[in-house]
Amino acid sequence: MRRTPIVLAGTAAGLAAVLGFHTESLGTNVVATPSGSSSGASTGKSTTTTTGSSSSPGRVSSSASTTTTTTGTTGTRTALGADVQYRYGDLELQVTVTGSRITNVEPVVDTAYDPRSSQINSYAEPLLVSETIEAQSAAINGVSGATFTSQAYVQSLQAALDKLGIK
Amino acid sequence: MGTPALKAPRRRDPDPGVFAWAGPVLLHVQAVMGTMVSFEIRIGDAEAKAAHVALARACSRLERADAVFSTWKPNSPMSLLRRGEMTLGEAPAEMAEVLELCKVARELSGGCFDPWAMPGGIDPTGLVKGWAADRALGELRAAGVRAATVNAGGDLASFGGPGPGWPWRIGVRDPRAESALACVVESPGAVATSGCYERGPHVIDPATGCPGTRCASATVTGPELWLADALATGLVVAGEAGLALIEAVEAYEGCVISDAGSIAMTGSFPVAT
Repeated sequence: MRRTPIVLAGTAAGLAAVLGFHTESLGTNVVATPSGSSSGASTGKSTTTTTGSSSSPGRVSSSASTTTTTTGTTGTRTALGADVQYRYGDLELQVTVTGSRITNVEPVVDTAYDPRSSQINSYAEPLLVSETIEAQSAAINGVSGATFTSQAYVQSLQAALDKLGIK
Repeated sequence: MGTPALKAPRRRDPDPGVFAWAGPVLLHVQAVMGTMVSFEIRIGDAEAKAAHVALARACSRLERADAVFSTWKPNSPMSLLRRGEMTLGEAPAEMAEVLELCKVARELSGGCFDPWAMPGGIDPTGLVKGWAADRALGELRAAGVRAATVNAGGDLASFGGPGPGWPWRIGVRDPRAESALACVVESPGAVATSGCYERGPHVIDPATGCPGTRCASATVTGPELWLADALATGLVVAGEAGLALIEAVEAYEGCVISDAGSIAMTGSFPVAT
């Protein structure tokens, strides 16, 4: 059982953990306001809110610099992130949240343009997924050392979270 | 896709998963300087509006640093200086400031960090990102927020911590192992990592002018990121032998991960338990 602010702290750490290189404009603001109320992250039935991701290379559907406060939504929901084409491949994530907690992140499109990039993705993405989910325990507040894939990852992840109304 | 374990040590007491500081947290991600810069701000007793203003100023600092020092933008003062089309006297004031810091870092690194030995002309990139993050963090500090981290593409500047007496805990990515962290450090203010594990060698050895490193990655911690960043850039070139140089720099510590995966560190490297 975690309070809402903790969940968002985790999301923060997850985002902080996935930094990358060379991107188009992306500015995202998140404000987490501790509510003090405790809402259990009980697994509800799966509702899927999936919107087709209109993709343009290197762009994210999320607008720049949006600021939000927390919402107390519960239940399990899934959304597709933006299909992000980055320098070395193409990545689209499906994100599942329970309440406002990320419970799963899975690539639905994961195409690397060359074998070397494919090899990098094969280890970078599991790391990023685990960072996103595990960092919600806030055992760490960030990661030193960066990856290329991670930029596409954070863009697609953010777009999915935007669709789910989770910031 | 499987569910890999993140091999970060778990801190048990106090539970870092609990917000210790009351008040809102402000998160922001900014694409600038060819990387992603993320902010985590524990606003504390400061006015939320003041924190937002400080964040905007912090981002302006980063944009400004990018505009002045980018070696990729053909008309930046840095590019003009490199091509001999602008003198130091004509350049914005921070150019001289940064180049002075570069000299300090070059000396402290025993020449392993040397912006003047780069192919294509002077290149302070290995210091500028950290310097800019320091200045961005300074805006947040001045606004009176309780704690903050600025993560500039894997190099972090911070003050305070997530709770009373708790340091910011920063994972150092394992350059070799899949889905793992090599270690976790408690940030003394700056944590910088340099490595070439993602896209092949891109760190230039000043001694040869060619790409060359003597370890898989190097991490330097200390009070300020401009120096930690530069020293990490030098340390990845120097390898384990460079730890002696870091040891000699007061308040800075270093850690080197070899190509074979072994970790060597200076005596007081702030590994979290």
